[in-house]
Amino acid sequence: MADFLYLYRGSERVNAALSPQQMQDYMQRFQGWIASLTKAGKISSCGPLATGGRTVNGPTAEVSDGPYAEAKDLIGGYTVLSASDFDEATDIARGCPFLNVGGIVEVRLVLSVK
Amino acid sequence: MDNRRAATAADHLFRHEAGRILARLTRLLGPRYFDLAEDAVQDAMCAALETWKFHGIPLTPEVWLMRVAHNRAIDLVRANRRSQKLLNKIALDPTAGIAAAPPEAHLQSTAPHDDCLMLMFSCCNPRLATNAQLALVLKALCGFSLDEIAAAFFVTPSAIEKRVTRAKACLKRAGSLFNLDNPREVVARLGTVHQALYLLFNEGYHSLRADAPVRDELCHEAIRLAQLLDADLATRVPATDALLAMMYFNLARLGGRVDDEGVFLALPQQDRTRWDQQLIALGFWYLDASATGGQLHRFHLEAAIAAEHCRAPSLAETDRRRILELYDLLAATAPSPIVGLNQAIARGQVEGPAAGLGALAKLADAPLARTYPFFYAAVAEFSLALGEHQAAISAFERAHAMARSPAERCFYDRKLRQISQRLTSA
Repeated sequence: MADFLYLYRGSERVNAALSPQQMQDYMQRFQGWIASLTKAGKISSCGPLATGGRTVNGPTAEVSDGPYAEAKDLIGGYTVLSASDFDEATDIARGCPFLNVGGIVEVRLVLSVK
Repeated sequence: MDNRRAATAADHLFRHEAGRILARLTRLLGPRYFDLAEDAVQDAMCAALETWKFHGIPLTPEVWLMRVAHNRAIDLVRANRRSQKLLNKIALDPTAGIAAAPPEAHLQSTAPHDDCLMLMFSCCNPRLATNAQLALVLKALCGFSLDEIAAAFFVTPSAIEKRVTRAKACLKRAGSLFNLDNPREVVARLGTVHQALYLLFNEGYHSLRADAPVRDELCHEAIRLAQLLDADLATRVPATDALLAMMYFNLARLGGRVDDEGVFLALPQQDRTRWDQQLIALGFWYLDASATGGQLHRFHLEAAIAAEHCRAPSLAETDRRRILELYDLLAATAPSPIVGLNQAIARGQVEGPAAGLGALAKLADAPLARTYPFFYAAVAEFSLALGEHQAAISAFERAHAMARSPAERCFYDRKLRQISQRLTSA
């Protein structure tokens, strides 16, 4: 088993296009998806990320305000989950309701010392 | 149908809260800042969605949303050039003490009337066409998007956008939301509000698009808004209760109006066991409540007619004389082409098909007879009862040509098939 990091990109763009009812329907589907993965013991941590933030740069530790990416790419949340390999992690991501509303799920392998 | 019926208020939390918060912010800031209020609501909804989709809905979501939207409004106001004056407006309202007050305080409006009720009265401005009033009501109070309103009215989103833009411009010209403390103004505007809710309900009830779940939603929204009227002493008048009675009687029978394939069913073919007895009971409750005061509103008569149908254990046991009496009264109080048509049908059912055809013939020159398929459907049914098959066929064919939905067309197709089968087997 390995850990994978899901980054949900484009939440702001997606949310702006949803009506309140569509938001609620999507929210309920997403909650169900998270709940089933949690129940299966797959998820070790997940959550939304607030927009904005800070970046600390270089040797001088210069602090500047985020966000620094384009709105369509902004990361709205993350999930850390365990899967046997990249294929399984990708398959699980394919079932994410975020995709149906036009979002992007980035799947990254967390490297470990083995 | 049953799944849809089981839908509860919790399934529309986002929509309904969007309307409530928007009404609150519009009252505090003034209608001129309606757009700013809409932005604050949208941002709060997005924040809720992002957080709740991972962590679940908080115990008091409405408090959470109101607080976030309120804070967001303050941020947006600060970014506005006239911010100081506006900030004072928010600050003047004790509910605005966001940081200091306990969260529950945000729910306790200090206004003597419900924010949504005030906004509803503002939306139903007689200077606006009714369809623009309804579009704004659905947008502002019911949390519908332009696309969803367009789907409900079967028109293009751009047409709806024009209506909403017009209606918003009218709303924003007012210095404040409608003043419900002035009884004279309330009485003058209440008729427009009643009519808007009546049409909102009928838009859902008569749309005949069984494939559109939005149909039920319009009926439920109309009832929800009418209940806001009923919850305020300023607007709880007998006509409001009569309107609610009529809505419940009709909603109760909504499920019986179409068969499993979504085809419209005429009253004789309807399965009465599919009528919702709980909703019928609510109808009678409101009908009783409406029976005060000396004024007979047309809603009283329409509710009473619907009550007669709901009361009857079967079609044969329906008190048709009573229904005809009520239609005669209705035609005298509030004449309209549809009432005239229903009166003619009721007459035919009491006095026989020939009398019914006679009454219908008097309406044949009305515009209704050129556009409304039910007129020819009625002519066809009475002709059939007299054994005049050819007349029935041609009338059903005219109704078919005027049909407004596939479900309706299918209904007339069935009728025509039945007649031709009867003719060939005879």
